Amino acid sequence: MLTEELQVIARTLGEALHDSEPVQKYLKALAEFQADPEAADLEKRMLAMYEELIARQHLGEMLQRSEIDTFNTLKKQVYQHPRIAEREAALTPVKGYFAEIADEINLPLGVEFSTLAQAVRA
Amino acid sequence: MSTQPSVSNIPPILPLVQDRTAAEVAQALGKRLSDMPEYQAFLKALKEINNNAEVQQLSVKIREHNTALQWGRGDILEHQAAMETLQAELESLPSIRVYRQAEEAVPRLFHAADEVISQAAGVPFASNAKRSGCGCGG
Repeated sequence: MLTEELQVIARTLGEALHDSEPVQKYLKALAEFQADPEAADLEKRMLAMYEELIARQHLGEMLQRSEIDTFNTLKKQVYQHPRIAEREAALTPVKGYFAEIADEINLPLGVEFSTLAQAVRA
Repeated sequence: MSTQPSVSNIPPILPLVQDRTAAEVAQALGKRLSDMPEYQAFLKALKEINNNAEVQQLSVKIREHNTALQWGRGDILEHQAAMETLQAELESLPSIRVYRQAEEAVPRLFHAADEVISQAAGVPFASNAKRSGCGCGG
């Protein structure tokens, strides 16, 4: 679907982003998180619990106060974990940088590239 | 004694982007995407429906029923039935059909470009490039 020229330009842009300071810092923080089994497991457990609670709530089930408290405690542990906190902190500048770059793509287009790129129907 | 810059040697004022190289490539990408047949077809279809009197009339009627529903005026079921009928009528118009096709092609094109960018960057691009709508600087 993409022309050869578009593929080259898109890849060049991706490589420039990859080499940028915010992305390099984020990738380092991400690698450190992934190398920490405790952090990865903690986040995995929180996400699994979140999915389960939401699914039950969607089915009309009233959740127990204790379950919500357990989830909130786990969530707090996740956000306070140093590897996860560092990863999240490193992602914030990436988002700001990517938004600036996306503005440059939007300029000649006159529409929001990022929004439309994510609007693909499954 | 300092010399005054002449009009011809004043450097251009560039937007406040950290990395000009990436910014320039991004602009080139936007330009190439805007030249693509899918995008040109989308713009043409959009212009067509904006200038189509029938489309505009049906859209106005749908909005009127929607406003009535929001303000709790009249019979809810009647408004809903009228909106469904009008929407079906709207969707059956040739110019809307063309627009719907064009509207689907552009996101597919942008999505394909985003996949290439994200893969090379090592970080998903589009999902991280959306500005927060809260105006809180996020």
